[in-house]
Amino acid sequence: MAAPLFLLAPPRSYTSLMNAMLGQHPQAFGLPELCLFNVEILGQLWIRSSDEMGSDAKTRHGLLRAVAEIYGGEQTMHSVRMAEHWCAARQNHSVASVYQELVAKIDPLVAVEKSPAYTVDVKRMRAMYKAFPDARFLHLTRHPVGQCKSVMSLYDGTFALFVNSIEFQADRAVVEPQYAWHDFNINILNFLDSVPPEQQMRVRGEDMMSDPPEYLGRICRWLGLRQDADAIEQMMHPERSPFACFGPLDALFGNDPNFLSGPTFRPHKVKVPALDKPVPWREDGAGLKPEVVALAREFGY
Amino acid sequence: MSEPVNVRKEGNRPKIGPVDGDPVSTHPDLDKLSPYQRGLREALLREFKARKVKKFVEKQVKYINGNRQVAEEIKILFDEHGQPPANAPMEDIIAERRHLEHQIKWFEAMLLELQTRLLRVREIEALALDVLEHSPEA
Repeated sequence: MAAPLFLLAPPRSYTSLMNAMLGQHPQAFGLPELCLFNVEILGQLWIRSSDEMGSDAKTRHGLLRAVAEIYGGEQTMHSVRMAEHWCAARQNHSVASVYQELVAKIDPLVAVEKSPAYTVDVKRMRAMYKAFPDARFLHLTRHPVGQCKSVMSLYDGTFALFVNSIEFQADRAVVEPQYAWHDFNINILNFLDSVPPEQQMRVRGEDMMSDPPEYLGRICRWLGLRQDADAIEQMMHPERSPFACFGPLDALFGNDPNFLSGPTFRPHKVKVPALDKPVPWREDGAGLKPEVVALAREFGY
Repeated sequence: MSEPVNVRKEGNRPKIGPVDGDPVSTHPDLDKLSPYQRGLREALLREFKARKVKKFVEKQVKYINGNRQVAEEIKILFDEHGQPPANAPMEDIIAERRHLEHQIKWFEAMLLELQTRLLRVREIEALALDVLEHSPEA
């Protein structure tokens, strides 16, 4: 069974695009966000996880769409209903065995997945590695300012709030996404320390955006996949992925809504902001934390 | 499938966020926070939810306003008894008539387009059912 490739990155780090691009390789299969390793037993995905924030039904959309596509060959309300039955029949199975079943079904294609929620906690990544000891892990980085701006622009920074990326001031608390940027990347680094070097790779998202053929080629070499012009060309069309659009009404998401509404890739040079200037999401002129700057420098920013 | 064979250990680089634990659950570890900070966090969550509701309401109000606008536009044609007002200026009546004719044309065009689409979809549906009926597995 072909070992899967997991993309590890905090959310809003080009993961959707990168996942869809790599998934378009003729020898790969790009999955939507399965979020399976958020829990231990499949049925737990159907249990409400937070009383503080809104509904978490969206976390199941990726899995339902994937099952509908893989077993039904289409994503319709009927095939999503079938996917729900498929999951119900496995509700007491470990997520590792469910994931292995999916990977076996698409074998010999290499499963490619990213669920940014995995990076919230090292134990989720540990579970992935335990389920797939041969898996490859691609650590995708993005400049803290770009990533945090992007987080704050999506639903008023709901993600940062959801993961308690909060700064406490004398008389109020404010959402401060750089804590999440730092701590999720730290989680990834701490986890990757336990993975042999040949099973991991780090790529800066900005480099990838400016010269995709070069970086896609490097990743394919590392994965042992074809790197010919045809394979690269196919990867330049993430919009052709069956998951690069909104799904049927009962499983609309499974990915970043911005990506779902505009999945086409346009190569562009990303402007890399300075690390020592005030950050745009703060009204008090504050900048990046010294720990964030140090980590960003470690990533080559 | 075997367990990872290497004995490499996970790193222990420190985190900087004020709240740890499993955040995507009901149990973020709030022990490190003082009661005052917990209160501030609660307030932030409430403010966020209020903003979300406000946005939702604003969106709904837009739709309601749309309906109200239509009602306002045709009000001129009727008095409080549902009859045309006796003293309505002729120019207003003509302008309103033109406006309504224009809207009716739009609706007719849309209706035609939807009917054409419906016909096509019905044909495809009938064809698909036909294929399924005559397929050997049926």
